[in-house]
Amino acid sequence: MRPFARGENPKRELWLMWFAVLAFYQLYTVVFFVLTRTQPPGSPSYTAAEVPGWFASHHDGLLVGLALIFVLGGLSATSIALITYTIRRMSVSRAFAYSYLILYSVSAVPGFLFICVALTAGAMRPERDPRLQQWLYDLGFLSFSGTMGVFLVGSLVWMAAILLDRNRVFPKWFGYLNLCNAVTEVVVAPAWIFDRGVFAWNGLIAWWINVVVFGIYTGVFINLLRNVIIREDFGTGPLPDLPPRRARRHTAAAEVA
Amino acid sequence: MRPVNGERIILWTLPAAAVLWVAAFFLFPGFLPPMSPRSSADEVASFYRENTARVRYSMIVFNWFCVALIPILMLVVERMRGMAHRTPVLRYCMIGCAGAAPIAFLTASVFWLLAAFRPERAPELTQLYNDLAWITLTCGVPFLVAQSLFLAVAIHLDRQETPVFRTWIAHFNVAVAVALVPAGFAGLAHNGVFAWDGFLSFWVRNSAIALWIIVMSVVLARALPRDGAAAEATA
Repeated sequence: MRPFARGENPKRELWLMWFAVLAFYQLYTVVFFVLTRTQPPGSPSYTAAEVPGWFASHHDGLLVGLALIFVLGGLSATSIALITYTIRRMSVSRAFAYSYLILYSVSAVPGFLFICVALTAGAMRPERDPRLQQWLYDLGFLSFSGTMGVFLVGSLVWMAAILLDRNRVFPKWFGYLNLCNAVTEVVVAPAWIFDRGVFAWNGLIAWWINVVVFGIYTGVFINLLRNVIIREDFGTGPLPDLPPRRARRHTAAAEVA
Repeated sequence: MRPVNGERIILWTLPAAAVLWVAAFFLFPGFLPPMSPRSSADEVASFYRENTARVRYSMIVFNWFCVALIPILMLVVERMRGMAHRTPVLRYCMIGCAGAAPIAFLTASVFWLLAAFRPERAPELTQLYNDLAWITLTCGVPFLVAQSLFLAVAIHLDRQETPVFRTWIAHFNVAVAVALVPAGFAGLAHNGVFAWDGFLSFWVRNSAIALWIIVMSVVLARALPRDGAAAEATA
């Protein structure tokens, strides 16, 4: 490691990443749930005649919201980078870290670029033949919900790393939460087959349960990443425990004094 | 004899790739002037019927070489190793962006090639491919924006006596990121500077990318020998 200028927080890069992760997931939630209202998704059972109506009622929100993702979506790299870093901090091979890095970098494209392109193309030309609008609608929602493998394998790689790790970077129960996230990618598969019911892309299982699991998973890992940064000692052995809350406040007060 | 680490070879692939990019740009009949998002389906279809061959040649070239920038970006990543950072996270960000960004170019070229594959199909279908190609290319800037910003942050945090890249390069990268932002909004306009054929979304965006490639290659070329010497010293 390079010599470090005095007085600078050695964790500044990690904190920068963490706040960018926080900002990215908030942006993501606002864009998909509030601005574009593509979450919860439109119905897969709409006929071609109904799809233009969906585009019409979502027109402005779609174009503005998806444009924000086009501009800021690259921030997603911060969460990938930070998680890759935490896997490298584990006692496991770097192969796990690099696998995670590549899997999730690949996932960005089907994970959000395709829905952005397809629904922008639909919203841009409301006068297009309804059957083609439906084609874009399907492409948008199915690429978004139905891009499964990268997240499935990515979660399993992270899970395996956590369960094998002896440096206690993440609690073991979080390893199993990764399994829950991986399972959501399995149960979403029937969305490719059914256009109504619990397994459809807007159904109870393929959407509602999955989005709750993903929400919990994301909230949990953002918090755990924060703890890892606090605990990081830049060593190679087990990560120290989180200092008790009171002690942390005490040290902070002492530093100020 | 000094072993060849190959970085100079990678660097010299850049002018070659740049020539091919420029060639593809001028060969593609829809860039000068850029095709309008206001064209009707029939106009778009007749464009592909009349220019089938040139669309194919240019986009085959672009498809071959749109990913040629990845090794150059890895040279940037290698230079970042020399920065006074405590962690590799910013390098990981750059690697992530380098992997994701060219897919937008790649996908766009595929849509253009598809549009030209069966120019006699129903005009609405050709227009659909054309829309997808233009939106993917124009709006597909998220990783280019992020990449410039990550590099700027990395340079900013590189506080040592002889930093790897000088401060103005950080400012330059922020400026490039800002210049790319309007293109993300191209879906909102059929007319004016934000439309995909407009001043900001087409000319400013593409000039910014071209300028980034030129400036960063010069900067990289200057950064290489010093590092080569450092590698020798540690060997």
